[in-house]
Amino acid sequence: MKIVRRTALAMVASIAASATLLSGGIANAEMPAPLDNPGDVKIALVRYLSTGDFFQAYLSGVEAQAEALGVDLRVFDSRQDAALQADMVDQAIALGVDGIVIQHGLTESMKEAAQRAVDAGIKVVAFDVNVENEAIPQIEQSDYLLGKLALEQAIEDNGNEWKAGYVYVPGIAPLDRRHVAWEEIKEANPGIEEVAQMGTLDNPIANSNANQARSVLQANPDISVFFAPYNEFAKGVKIAVDEAGMSSDVSIYSADVSTADIAQMREPGSAWKATVATNPAVVGEVSVRALAMMLAGEDPGAQVIVPPTLITQAFLNENDISNMEDLSAKLPQFAHADVAMTDWMPLPPR
Amino acid sequence: MSVDSTPDQTTGDGSNTEALPRRKRATLVDHSIRYGFLGLLLGLIVFFSIFASGFAGPRSAVFIFQSVAITGILALGVTCTLVVGGFDLSIGSVATSSMMLAAYMMVIFEQSAFVTIVACLAMGAFIGLINGLLIVKTRVPDLLATLGMMFLLVGLQRIPTEGRSIATGMTLPDGSTAEGTFSPFFLAMGRHRIDLVLEDLIPVSVIFLIVIGILVWIFLEMTRHGRLMYAIGSNERAASLTGTNVNNYKIMAYMISGTLASVGGMLLAARLGRGDIASGTNLLLDAVAAALIGFAVLGAAKPNAFGTAMGALFVGILLQGLTMMNAPYYTQDFIKGFVLVIALVFTFSLSARKAGSH
Repeated sequence: MKIVRRTALAMVASIAASATLLSGGIANAEMPAPLDNPGDVKIALVRYLSTGDFFQAYLSGVEAQAEALGVDLRVFDSRQDAALQADMVDQAIALGVDGIVIQHGLTESMKEAAQRAVDAGIKVVAFDVNVENEAIPQIEQSDYLLGKLALEQAIEDNGNEWKAGYVYVPGIAPLDRRHVAWEEIKEANPGIEEVAQMGTLDNPIANSNANQARSVLQANPDISVFFAPYNEFAKGVKIAVDEAGMSSDVSIYSADVSTADIAQMREPGSAWKATVATNPAVVGEVSVRALAMMLAGEDPGAQVIVPPTLITQAFLNENDISNMEDLSAKLPQFAHADVAMTDWMPLPPR
Repeated sequence: MSVDSTPDQTTGDGSNTEALPRRKRATLVDHSIRYGFLGLLLGLIVFFSIFASGFAGPRSAVFIFQSVAITGILALGVTCTLVVGGFDLSIGSVATSSMMLAAYMMVIFEQSAFVTIVACLAMGAFIGLINGLLIVKTRVPDLLATLGMMFLLVGLQRIPTEGRSIATGMTLPDGSTAEGTFSPFFLAMGRHRIDLVLEDLIPVSVIFLIVIGILVWIFLEMTRHGRLMYAIGSNERAASLTGTNVNNYKIMAYMISGTLASVGGMLLAARLGRGDIASGTNLLLDAVAAALIGFAVLGAAKPNAFGTAMGALFVGILLQGLTMMNAPYYTQDFIKGFVLVIALVFTFSLSARKAGSH
């Protein structure tokens, strides 16, 4: 926690400094070509996943950064139709956009479409989908780090000898990456024993997982730590722990955060001890900033990783945080990631 | 409940008693068909009691009931539409819409639990009415009408919040913060437990399931209205010729289905404590599976409330038992499908046998 606060302070200082710098920058409107005339710049966001709080927040970040730049944003939403998403890239090419953000999708279906866009001279960035193209930078939230930070907190709170319940659904890319961290931690700490694994994506996800977790707790009442690396999983496990009357015996560690999760974590005696999250809105902003850098002829790097933040129950209580806005205000590294930044880059107001 | 329904079922398929010479040979088959599924249920309980640690005991029994309470209530609704020869594909999305509405009423409009409950029930009944009118008046086939309603609701429930889940403290589209909270009384519907022998044993949602189950059973089996609904299901034209108002009964069946689905949605909201965007497809599929498995219970070969409840329980016991034995998640869908197929084979080979014996 101390470290978090110290970095938080450092971030406040740096942001305050950069904010003053930036406001000066905007006033001078010294953006490099073609962004010196942003009204004529068209960019497209081509989405694969759109339903849910995370994707909604991601979109709001993209919109906010596009507005700050003053560029014309078109949103194409394929609603989990891989073929349609590839067609939409072609539509965007036909529309004559200058840049494309590809948000999720399948490598197989997007690889060629992305190449066609690059061939047409369009700058492309990809968020959370590997299109196997050197000209296309990858924007990522580090799922591996999300898992790792949560587990390190679990070890700090509980020592390195406990029986664990684990929630996992294989085949979901971010969960697979978080799983790597879990395997590593188990390897490094032989005292940590995974006595039960569960998990389902049947919706409502929290409800289905609550049912499963209730069975797991009944069968394994000696579980003291639950690693549920997705907030819907954690929510389900918490319902089950409450229903089993085991809130004081079990600690839950998770990833991702929403306003509802904050309320859950702050309930008196809540078993949900910590979560690690990247602000999806920030990831959206970073995606557009990386694209803007490419439009201006700069190189954001082959991989742009948005670092995650540890959020503990104690921190939420100490700072009386009740929603995402409070969290952003009290935890500045959550509100803004200092990646894909240049000295000319305008930032959305907050 | 099983004791009561047995004599009723016997009179229901009296065809066996008429075929006297074949009777002896038929009894064994009939018995296995009639009690086979309940026997299987019992066997399953014994199996898990031995092999899954912690399965045997009142607390496990209660949370299995709780895990099926919501799908069970939805399944009872869909049973009513199956009885009149219809089908309601919209129940899953009615349930999730009702969950969103409940959260919206309390968190954003800051209404009391009572107003919220009335609003949700009214919405469920209203959607049922629309479904019924579409089917009866505009002659849209039931599967298509309710499929359309399903999509409509999945979209509609997201419009007010622009696709976000509803929770206290959320930021509204206009930038303000939602200050309302879930009323404790409303939350109690999904969370409170009643002491029975053991402290905090029975969750309220289980009581909802049992009470609704008994009411639907009495309605379908004991009342004239229930009988007429079965008559409509087996031969709509004959029922209409005998002076039954077929259209009204059909609309009523969909209204029951919609209302029960909205009850399920409220229980869901109370358990989760927020309005979660979800399509409800899994709720729909589980509920339909329970109702179809119910066809096989006691050899009914038709939709029935007792069978539906047993079907829901059967799926619940299987899934919870498997979870306790640490079975991976994908086995669960497989097992669910397997049980459904077996149950359907039970049902349809049975009705074919009956038809063939004449």
